[in-house]
Amino acid sequence: MAGLNLLALTKHFGDLKVLTAVDLEVKDREFVAVLGSSGAGKSTLLRLIAGFEKPDSGSIQLDGLEISNSDTVLVPEKRSIGIVPQDAALFPHLTVSQNIGFGLAGLTAKDRAARVLDLLKLVELEDFRDTKPDKLSGGQAQRVALARALAPRPKLVLMDEPFSALDAELRTRLRLDVKAILKAEGATAILVTHDQEEALSLADRVAVLRNGKIVQVGSPTEIYNSPADIGIATFLGDSVLIDGKVVAGKLVTALGSLTPLNRVIDGESGLVAIRGENFYLQPNPNGEGEVVGQVFFGHDAVVEVLTRGIKIRARSNGPFAPEVGMKVTVWVRGAVNFYPA
Amino acid sequence: MRRPPALVAALGISAALLAVLPIGYLLLRLVEGFDRAVAELLRFRTLELLGNTALLVVAVTLTALVLGFAQAWLTTRSNIRFAALFGVLAALPLAIPSYVIALGYVSLFPGFSGFFGSWLVLTFSTSPYVFLAVTAAMVRTDTAAEEVARTLGYGRWQVLLKITWPQVRPAATASMLLVALYTLSEFGAIAILRYDTFTRAIYNAYRGSFDRTSAASIAVVLLLITLLVIWFERKYRGNYQASSVALTKRLRVDLAGYKPLAIFGLSVASLLSLGLPLASLVVWSIQGVSSVDAGLLVDALLGSVKLAVLAGLVIGVFGTAIALWSVRYRNRLGQFVETISWATHAMPAIVVGLALVFFGANVTPWIYQTTAMLLIAYLILFLPNTLAAIGTPIAQVSRSLEDVSRSLGTPANKTLYRVVLPIAFPGIIAGIGLAALTVLKELPATLLLRPTETNTLATRLWSATGDLAYAQAAPYALLLVIIAGLPALALNAQARKALSEVRS
Repeated sequence: MAGLNLLALTKHFGDLKVLTAVDLEVKDREFVAVLGSSGAGKSTLLRLIAGFEKPDSGSIQLDGLEISNSDTVLVPEKRSIGIVPQDAALFPHLTVSQNIGFGLAGLTAKDRAARVLDLLKLVELEDFRDTKPDKLSGGQAQRVALARALAPRPKLVLMDEPFSALDAELRTRLRLDVKAILKAEGATAILVTHDQEEALSLADRVAVLRNGKIVQVGSPTEIYNSPADIGIATFLGDSVLIDGKVVAGKLVTALGSLTPLNRVIDGESGLVAIRGENFYLQPNPNGEGEVVGQVFFGHDAVVEVLTRGIKIRARSNGPFAPEVGMKVTVWVRGAVNFYPA
Repeated sequence: MRRPPALVAALGISAALLAVLPIGYLLLRLVEGFDRAVAELLRFRTLELLGNTALLVVAVTLTALVLGFAQAWLTTRSNIRFAALFGVLAALPLAIPSYVIALGYVSLFPGFSGFFGSWLVLTFSTSPYVFLAVTAAMVRTDTAAEEVARTLGYGRWQVLLKITWPQVRPAATASMLLVALYTLSEFGAIAILRYDTFTRAIYNAYRGSFDRTSAASIAVVLLLITLLVIWFERKYRGNYQASSVALTKRLRVDLAGYKPLAIFGLSVASLLSLGLPLASLVVWSIQGVSSVDAGLLVDALLGSVKLAVLAGLVIGVFGTAIALWSVRYRNRLGQFVETISWATHAMPAIVVGLALVFFGANVTPWIYQTTAMLLIAYLILFLPNTLAAIGTPIAQVSRSLEDVSRSLGTPANKTLYRVVLPIAFPGIIAGIGLAALTVLKELPATLLLRPTETNTLATRLWSATGDLAYAQAAPYALLLVIIAGLPALALNAQARKALSEVRS
């Protein structure tokens, strides 16, 4: 069986339970994002997979072979797992080419040069082959770091928030580059990040890590549309939670009768999570809602509305974001998620 | 925890053994001959030496503090002209071995000797330590607080005493202890100026008789006093945490009518610490140029350089091993080895030299009076400071670089020389260079341990001075300043940093 398998992986540092019974499967050539806020245990997870830490219990299997358990850990250099650290961590004393070729010690000089050239082309840095890392921009450095990790054709590539040090525009561009590069190399990869947009836009599958536990795994659309619990719903995207009760398959709430996205049982009561983009605001002098706040972002705006005693945050696109003080009617479009109490 | 490579561990353990065995042997021998050692120490002479030494240490420490502090304040906090130039001049005596300053004076004023001469010369030699430490602290304290105090009715002197001084006191205290240690272990200048302290007495006792018990017992007393001062230093250094960020905006006090007086004072200080002794040496060199045997000069120069290069390499290899062990493979044994290597920190060179004489003559006669023995002495003396210089660049190599290297299939030991050492290399070379330059200036241990046929600039200077042949000694002194002193000052990170900050 190809790919990576984490089985009940647990790691504690003293009393601190960093990871508890983590199960995760990454298939061959799959790109999985591990999404979690800081302190969720993302970095520890990567260090365990790379072989820098020993698990307290559980096991890690790569291509069907056990490489870590609580007794023995295969040393990092024998795992064939590449890493791309947060700060790129290029070897400062080596040129770009030498950095990329670092892990190719087993090849002949000719093969090594050919492989390095392939990767230089792939990451579009052929002109920088003899440059020292301190002359590279942040985005270039990250591309070299990725090329360096991919060069020995590892079984798995681990990326630790590789875009977090970059500015917003560069980040967006580099993300797409990285996705294309990984696909071109047919690499199996894990990305850990705290940025939900990054995880959702890049990965084939997303695993949500919270307090050292994997709480949901699924495709980006699954994760976004059907968060497994309220915590994930509020973590992913801006959700408003209101009370609701299931009556005849519908969710009865203060904002009207809404269609459930998930399966519900009549008679249950609980919380309904409504995303900002589900709200539609209709300007109406007699409306029950009043705009109490507005944050303008250019491409859209977040509008805070007080209606029927509930404060909602709506994402309003288009040039006509309602102004503070305006009266509006609040509609909820599309289906929403219900979480029984 | 990762285990260090066998070579690193072997080098580390042997360096630690080399550092402590001779001193341990010296103590052991004294315990064996306890009665005689006690009788030796209970003479009035010991008390006299103690008094002389203590007087000099206290006097030098106080005047160095006053001079160094004044130079620091005037160059960083007042609006005098040429502040940057005076800053360089205040640090420059670091480049001149104190016995060279002493030679400069004694060759100019033959009556210049005893307590007063030693006091003056050592004040000039050590005030740069205070100057650099206080400067570093001053550029990191907020001058706004001083202005606030002025608006609240405090006069200039009150501000200096109640606001400025408390902020730089930790740095000043640390540097004062450094000055005290320097004075305690100083041999060359004091011997040239014929003032009887422990170091000179140890040397004379060693030279004057075949019975070395007397020299050894005095050496042990000096050792104990040094340990006491080091203990103080450790205690204070722990409390001292300077902010690493220099303030960019610094207000300077307007000295107004006192400016000429300040410039005059700074000029006189530099004239006395640098101008006069150097001018004297230049004049003597010119006078003596015909009488100096060029062959001897070249021979001494080559001897010095050979020893310095060899010692630099030896210290560099052992130092790198210990630094690697303590920084990259921190385990209990590694920590122990590092502590042991530090134990000889600030130990008077004359004591280390004497301990090696004892050890060499009695335990390892096959290397006694060989170059190897001398190299061991240099290793003991200069390993601690080199360790600090080498440890920093190694510690600065990011761990994630090692992680990346290992994930790319390079085992830990190989990562050491493919990644860690190449990156730290420039820093390691600088540390080795500094050690080699320090070796060039070393006098007492070289005098005690050198092979009979080996001569260095320092030993030639010493014997010419002993014969009162100043014209012959002067060229050696100047050469020492040029090839050892100035480059060492240029490599001194603390000095470079402080001087760049004076300017801003």
